[in-house]
Amino acid sequence: MTPDVIVIGTGIGGGTAGRALAEAGLQVLFIEQGPAGHRAEEQHISVTLADPAARLLRGFWPDPVHVTMQGRDRSFYAPLGSAVGGSSAFYAATLERPARHDLDDLVDRPHPTGGWPVSYDAFLPALQRAEALFAVAGQPDPLDPGPGLPRTRDPAPGDRLMLDRLAGRGLHPYMLHSAVRRLPGCADCMGRKCPRPCKMDARSAGVEPALATGRATLWDRTRVTRIQLAGGRVTGVTVARAGETVTVHAPHVVLAAGALSSPRLIVASGLADPDGPAGRYLMFHLNEIFAYWPGGGGDHPASKGVGFRDLYHHQGQRLGMVQAMGLSVGADEILQHLRGRAADLPWGQTRLVREALRLPAMAAARAMGRASLMVGLLEDMPQTGNRVLPDASTIRIIYDLPDETLRRRALFRRAIRAAMGRVMFASRAPDPNWGHPCGTLRMGTDPASSCTDATGRLHGTAGLWVADASVFPTAMGVNPSLTIAAHALRVADDIVAGGTHG
Amino acid sequence: MDDLTLVTGAGGGLGRALARALVARGQAVAGLGRDAGALAETGQGLPTGRFLPVLADLADHAAVLAAIAALPGPVIRLVNNAAVYPRRDILDETPGSFMATVTVNLGGPLACALAVLPGMVARGRGRILNVSSFADIAPAPLAAAYSVSKGASRILTRALIADLGDRFPQIVINDWMPGILSTPMGRADGLPPERAADWGAALALMDDVSLTGTLWEMDRELLPPRTFRRRWLDRVTGQRVLARRL
Repeated sequence: MTPDVIVIGTGIGGGTAGRALAEAGLQVLFIEQGPAGHRAEEQHISVTLADPAARLLRGFWPDPVHVTMQGRDRSFYAPLGSAVGGSSAFYAATLERPARHDLDDLVDRPHPTGGWPVSYDAFLPALQRAEALFAVAGQPDPLDPGPGLPRTRDPAPGDRLMLDRLAGRGLHPYMLHSAVRRLPGCADCMGRKCPRPCKMDARSAGVEPALATGRATLWDRTRVTRIQLAGGRVTGVTVARAGETVTVHAPHVVLAAGALSSPRLIVASGLADPDGPAGRYLMFHLNEIFAYWPGGGGDHPASKGVGFRDLYHHQGQRLGMVQAMGLSVGADEILQHLRGRAADLPWGQTRLVREALRLPAMAAARAMGRASLMVGLLEDMPQTGNRVLPDASTIRIIYDLPDETLRRRALFRRAIRAAMGRVMFASRAPDPNWGHPCGTLRMGTDPASSCTDATGRLHGTAGLWVADASVFPTAMGVNPSLTIAAHALRVADDIVAGGTHG
Repeated sequence: MDDLTLVTGAGGGLGRALARALVARGQAVAGLGRDAGALAETGQGLPTGRFLPVLADLADHAAVLAAIAALPGPVIRLVNNAAVYPRRDILDETPGSFMATVTVNLGGPLACALAVLPGMVARGRGRILNVSSFADIAPAPLAAAYSVSKGASRILTRALIADLGDRFPQIVINDWMPGILSTPMGRADGLPPERAADWGAALALMDDVSLTGTLWEMDRELLPPRTFRRRWLDRVTGQRVLARRL
């Protein structure tokens, strides 16, 4: 078997690139570490289930990630997928466009890296193509409408209340850009696998249409151990599959194992210096999760789809967008929160205090009704010391927050409070979104400080493209999925174009 | 062919009553048993084609799998009803005789579940009702193999849920204690099996995902025990946890 392209990883990047390549007439081999699973599965992603085999069976990343953050070591299960569809099988399908200043270096909004090597105007057509593939629906951002979306999205009752309240405070809310098709009986599969092709993810909008062309093959439960190279050109990959070691040859390899794994495979394959830029500039978003009481009394449903960008770039600083999370909060959740806070106090762990806290929790829930959980996605900045280590066997992360980020974080929280009024933040400590890693094989022109070029080609290696969030020079202030898909389409274009002239 | 409801032990007692009650409620029932004459009697008077006798011995798991595979339609509901209760002094058991009871009472429900689950998994929905007993809590004399195997089958219910519940929440699985019946396995002064079968059939036809893992006795749900503190708090906070009734 000699495919035209081997795609490593079937998340948003690999699934989208593989679909575009197969639809362009190329023979594609998808290689996925996790299982295809059963199509009717509905499990939520779990960060508590502890058995690695049970995790992998369900499509969760099987092993804990090991993080050294601000000098403290901890190990935990991150919300990462390891399945056909990757993390997108579990995502909330929020496919927001980045803003112009996320990619471009603007006079009034200078870019921290001097700008991505691809301009916003050059990138925008790919964003629109990705929106079409993923059937994105939403309302235009009133502050910066841009080109129209494939479908509009009407607010549900919970959304309408929040749109009214936020607009009443002078904000510019809109229906988030969602890749859920909302077929009859839609259960809004946020955080869990969707049993039908209703939520558009890397299965329903990527691998499944690719397989339907008849030109794609899927090897699941297969781990790539090495990308093979001869004379500066990729020749194929070596995999562990069903207890055997197999080498498959192909002239093109698309690497989309995710920003925590792609750099490790690059280094393990001898394609990058372990002390060079590969694995560095690791970024996440910092989640600022808070409860918001839109008021209006009664037991209104939670908003599942409202966000705003009024604070995206605020007082000359890159902050991020604010989104409803589709969860509502009542007395039980407030109680958990108050107990968490009280635990820091000398008597806070006593039973009396823990029980006594029920009263303010109930009073808050009675007085203010149910709250909607919301999240602000604070943009992270590239730091050379923040990195995933070149350890082939497990994910080890070194991650620190510089004062600059902490100052922006404080500004973001103050600005959210001032803009929205009745809010309660869920945590005081920084809360990196471990499901949004990026930046570890970043695009650039200088091989000393970047790993890939503007179309994701690995510097100095022919035949190898990176098609996941590893290539992001900056984390942006929006969810990464749409940008990953758009980049993956540009990778596919580059491979198809190159194929026609040798 | 219609979706089928599979009832084991359909040749007599509660299983016969369940099969007939389910047919009366519009289901196409496949009734599994080891006595062709008894199965034919179960089907007597029922509308043509609504009761399908399935001849197999639950002790022969390969035969059970083959019989279910040969059914003309997909099994969307399974009522694991059949059990044996040999009433044997432990001093009269051999390892072989003891395990023969386990083979039917634990292995039978397991074989039936494994036979129907692939179809349920492909659809993403299904219903498994396991007819259960309290025998494991305080085993009676002469009931060692029965108590052990019925207790183990309750663990099987929980284990099925552990493996499937999060992935396939619409495959609804739970246990039902029918009460003491006036069948050969029960007591002369017990409930008529037709009475219990009305409850069991109603429960088998309920598909609410919140039923998974619940325990029902006769016509009502048994809630897990609450601590004193929990009861006090529920009272103070005005929360009422109501057990469901059929």
